[in-house]
Amino acid sequence: MSSRIVNLNVNPCKMCMPLGVVNAFYGVAGCICLLHGSQGCSTYIRRHMATHYNEPVDIASSSLTEEGTVFGGEGNLIRGLDNLIALYHPEVVAVATTCLAETIGEDVRAIVRDYLAGRPDCRVKIITVNSAGYSGTRYEGWFRALRALLEQTDADASAHAGVNVVTGPLSPADTRALKRLLRGTGLDFTLLPDISDNLDGGCGAPYSRLPAGGTPLAAIARMAGARATLEAATFVPEEASPGRLLEEKFGVPLFRLNMPVGLRDTDAFLAALEELGGSIPAEEREERARYLDAMVDAHKHVALGRAAVFGEPDLVYGLTRLCCENGLVPVVAATGADCPALKAVLEEEIRPVAENLMLQRFSVLNFADFDDIEAAVAANGANLLIGSSDGRRAAHRRNIPLVRCAFPVHDHLGGQRIRVLGYAGAMRLLDEFSNALISNLEASFRKTIRDRCFGGREGSAAAGKAAGSNRARSATHPCFSEAAGHSFARIHLPVAPDCNITCNYCVRAFDCPNESRPGVTSRVLTPDEALERFLRVRESMPSLRVAGIAGPGDALANFEATAETLRLIRREDPEVTFCLSTNGLLLPLHAARLAELSVSHVTITINAVDPVVGARIYSQAAYMGMRFRGEAAAAMLLSNQLAGLKMLTDLGVVCKVNIVLIKGVNDTHVEDVVRKVKTLGASIANIMQMIPVRGSAFEHMPMVDNKTHEALRGRCESILPQMRHCRQCRADAVGLLGEDQSIRLREAAPAALSSVPAAPGVESPVKVAVASRSGVVVDQHFGFAEQFYIYESDGLSARLLEARRVAGKNAGCGGCGNRPLPEGPEEVEAGGGKIVRALEAVADCGVVVAMRIGDSPSRQLAQKGISVFSTYDSIDKAVKDAVLRCRGAAAADSRFL
Amino acid sequence: MYAQVLEERKKSIRRAADAETSPIRCGARSVSGAVSQRACVYCGARVVLNPITDAFHIVHGPIGCAAYTWDIRGSLSSGSELYRNSFSTDLREKDVVFGGAEKLAAAVDEVMRVHAPALIFVYCTCIVGVIGDDVEAVCRGAERKYGNRVVAVKAPGFSGGKADGYRLAGEALLQFLLPHKGRKKRGGINILGDYNLAGETWIIKRYLEEVGLPVVSTFTGDASCESLAHAPSARLNIVQCAGSMVHLAQRMEREFGIPWIKASFFGVEDTGTSIRQAADLLGSAETRRRAADLTRRESERTRRLLEPYKARLAGKKAAIFVGGGFKAVSLVRQFRELGMETVLVGTQTGRPDEYEVLGKLVGPDTVILDDANPAELERFLRERGADILTGGVKERPLAYKLGIAFCDHNHERRHALAGYEGALNFAEEVNRSINSPVWRYIRG
Repeated sequence: MSSRIVNLNVNPCKMCMPLGVVNAFYGVAGCICLLHGSQGCSTYIRRHMATHYNEPVDIASSSLTEEGTVFGGEGNLIRGLDNLIALYHPEVVAVATTCLAETIGEDVRAIVRDYLAGRPDCRVKIITVNSAGYSGTRYEGWFRALRALLEQTDADASAHAGVNVVTGPLSPADTRALKRLLRGTGLDFTLLPDISDNLDGGCGAPYSRLPAGGTPLAAIARMAGARATLEAATFVPEEASPGRLLEEKFGVPLFRLNMPVGLRDTDAFLAALEELGGSIPAEEREERARYLDAMVDAHKHVALGRAAVFGEPDLVYGLTRLCCENGLVPVVAATGADCPALKAVLEEEIRPVAENLMLQRFSVLNFADFDDIEAAVAANGANLLIGSSDGRRAAHRRNIPLVRCAFPVHDHLGGQRIRVLGYAGAMRLLDEFSNALISNLEASFRKTIRDRCFGGREGSAAAGKAAGSNRARSATHPCFSEAAGHSFARIHLPVAPDCNITCNYCVRAFDCPNESRPGVTSRVLTPDEALERFLRVRESMPSLRVAGIAGPGDALANFEATAETLRLIRREDPEVTFCLSTNGLLLPLHAARLAELSVSHVTITINAVDPVVGARIYSQAAYMGMRFRGEAAAAMLLSNQLAGLKMLTDLGVVCKVNIVLIKGVNDTHVEDVVRKVKTLGASIANIMQMIPVRGSAFEHMPMVDNKTHEALRGRCESILPQMRHCRQCRADAVGLLGEDQSIRLREAAPAALSSVPAAPGVESPVKVAVASRSGVVVDQHFGFAEQFYIYESDGLSARLLEARRVAGKNAGCGGCGNRPLPEGPEEVEAGGGKIVRALEAVADCGVVVAMRIGDSPSRQLAQKGISVFSTYDSIDKAVKDAVLRCRGAAAADSRFL
Repeated sequence: MYAQVLEERKKSIRRAADAETSPIRCGARSVSGAVSQRACVYCGARVVLNPITDAFHIVHGPIGCAAYTWDIRGSLSSGSELYRNSFSTDLREKDVVFGGAEKLAAAVDEVMRVHAPALIFVYCTCIVGVIGDDVEAVCRGAERKYGNRVVAVKAPGFSGGKADGYRLAGEALLQFLLPHKGRKKRGGINILGDYNLAGETWIIKRYLEEVGLPVVSTFTGDASCESLAHAPSARLNIVQCAGSMVHLAQRMEREFGIPWIKASFFGVEDTGTSIRQAADLLGSAETRRRAADLTRRESERTRRLLEPYKARLAGKKAAIFVGGGFKAVSLVRQFRELGMETVLVGTQTGRPDEYEVLGKLVGPDTVILDDANPAELERFLRERGADILTGGVKERPLAYKLGIAFCDHNHERRHALAGYEGALNFAEEVNRSINSPVWRYIRG
């Protein structure tokens, strides 16, 4: 965004609280969630989670309606619980509120209490969570879910030697790694929550709708009697901390730690486990050593990195610290949540690393949206984005790599397998950071250095290379090499009908197939047709090397068609040489694009390099919406021709200049033209005798005789190579020069519908009324039709005349009411009125075709002499069939299906 | 083994053979707790309007509604990229208590100062309906102050279904169009109900223009405020996604006298019919000839290219669960063109007559479902032995877990399914999944 808006959240860097609640409950065994609110909340959250985890995500909704919103949603919630329990047979149901339920003041705890009181046999544990979307983000929702779970589970406070481990949002893979580590320590532990299986399940075993993995309710109950709680979450407020609840309620000592991300925080986490009596597995020590080794390997690469880290508070904190310990400067650290504490600690963390590299600017952003983040990325010069896939738009816009390592990842696979935790996670991240930076450097350093050396004249080296390969192509281009003219074929594709200048020797008629001169073609092709012709000719003509666009107008005056044709052909044929001819008026506009389209050869017709001479040849030029005449036109054209020629040759395109030799006009001027274009890089000149065309201004001009023509070429030869084998081809020429195959290869002209001769005996067309909803298939009852498609058909072809509304239908659809249109047959007014109106609507037709029709209307139609057919078929076919049958059988009531 | 079907849901599930005598229940509210795949009113309005590329779409509500709909659809633009941003008033507890109208008004002021868009949509979500913000007043005030259009789309999620959202979007569009009523007719076509997913509007437009039928404006794929303003000058509306746009077509017929026809650009046959119909109604003899040429040439070419796919797909069993009935019908027919039988077909919002057509199209044992949930899909996919499921993002992981191939027919796809090239892409997509070697190991 160019300017910033502060009163709106622009591109959110956060998700809502109910998502966090559901996410955490996916880590509880046998649990299924129900969101008390409108249907959209659960559907959107399901979609958001399913695309990240690549797992089915089932979340029920109480599907609150208007009625529920006004009079309370208790009924909906109770029905929802009944249905959900019947469908999934869960052990635990989590009922979480949404914005709507909270705003209308639903007391879910009371509703659930009453629900259970009325169902003494219900063994399902129902946990309620108040989670208005507007009161926090996914991060807060996650902890609120855990706290509600601990609060509402019947605790078993009998003391045991186990340890509780509570985490914030982790990926399933990280959760698995953490479990493996905890098992390895020999400690008896309860991990809450555990989404490792439920959001990253296997394939092959029978699929279970109900998430079977996760922390069991019994284990959660026993957390009250544990020896200690480790809570790996830095920024969760005291009042929301699940560990604090266990401490206050049951006296379980709480140790709050950072998420084990990076070296220091993983060390601290392991130390805490050790302190609690765990033994650290030897592999962890080895992994640590390997991470240290990786840090050394990476340090010089990552020191070139300027990271922007964004996401939820704990993760941003951990990732920022990981960056810092590796010397990768986080120039932006941002969270979308409201977590003011983050700023001070992170600034303290980043400052020394930035100072080492003499960086002044870095920003820690609280409560940020992506508009804020992107602005800071630009201002602080970040070259690496670290976070969720929501950063991808900024990454694309700024051409900065994005390492996806946080929820949600919507555009890549493997969101469920993100690894961040521990030494192994850190190692993997570090490799990803380094490689993203290395790839960027590798892709850009050659150009950067070259540009620096050549003072930014970028492209000159590339153009030099292009020029070489383009010149090599001239050997197989019949117009640029005489030898090639005998053995290699070309095809001219007439896709460019319009012209933007008026030459006095030309008539812009292109429908005479018997003339062979520039500007003449029998039929203009669309790019698709041109592709088809090209492919067909290539099949039958192995010597084909060149595809050119030579009008019949000016290739650049029809630039879209020209470019599209070339693009289509290039997709099919990477080899063929592209060539086009132009008067040059639009060259400065399109030269660069032509080179991009891999046009290697261009012919520009330049008849004069003096506007006074030019004014005698050109009568007008249309340029940029203006019409120029006389010398102004000639001067405009000339300056563009010369500038365009220079641009092309600078880009390495091989240019030929055609000069139409006109006796008494430019015959003494041609040598000047040749001299001038040589200085601009033209490779070859082609001096052609003007062919007087009937109807043109120069109709009666004499031609230069062959001897004079040849002598002139001889003089010019010393200036620039001359093309002497020109055959002045048609705009749709095909084959070797002088052996035009275009007439033979032209498509058989398609027979015009209107000119199809009437078969003897076929009568005049008849009107057919079709009952159709979809408009493409006969799929409607006669009586329920809101409209009839009125066709005219002679049985061979069919023409749609109109879509005729049935009078009186659609009444009441004025948009004033809130209810949908009466759509189904049962809602359409009953009685005979509608049939009468339908009969009226088709009264002028000879045939009616419908998917179905009642007996009575069928009889009434027959009485009026209207034939009736019922069918389910495509509309075209049904119409033609009906007419043919009608005539063949002459039986008014015959039916076909 | 198989999940039970809830009593309340039984009327919404039918064998095709039984559907004739006992029509399927549809159009009803979702059953609470049944895990419906449907979305909400706001969703319906947002998906229809959001492709307007240079309009400013402000979601007035808490952050979730904006976060989950931010740039999630593959509608392409040839101009502005503004619509790919998410703008939300991000209402919080304080706003719920004291009201959010002031915040909204300040935001609109700021938007006008910074961007000055010709058109702003303000979407009202669930809680705005409850806390009673007078959004209409804010919008009217802004219009008076700035002279641009600021249109409230009152779409609280609880106030109905997705289809109600379509209707609200149609009304919002009409509000924008009405001041342009007097435009001189210049002929040409409006394309309604195509959202330019993977460039589909462009494909349709190219066909029409190629045969000589100018396209005036498109609703709403790749639309701009400027292009929409010309819509009243068109002579014909063609409606592709009927569910979302018939209402607007009817209103435009009444207000601007533009007749409309339905059209379908899914599948070879429908594409041809739709192009020829448009040419019949608006074109000269030359245009009609070109339409006949183009459709004959393209359908022959496409059918030729489809042959190798048919050889690989014939006899496989397809399952379909999509949003609207119209799309379901065209999918059944497209599968049939590939020699595949449909054994399960369901929709979120199909209508009675669409279900009737579906019943006729499929075999007697095919199961038809309205507003199905994952448990039902799972049960019938397994029971009917489907080889592939066609559906949206939420259905994909379920199919994969059951070891069934999947065809993405959602709004996020990166491949066009409309027109002749779409018909090829469809076959390619189906083949790519159904004949992948992985299933051999999964089912092994």
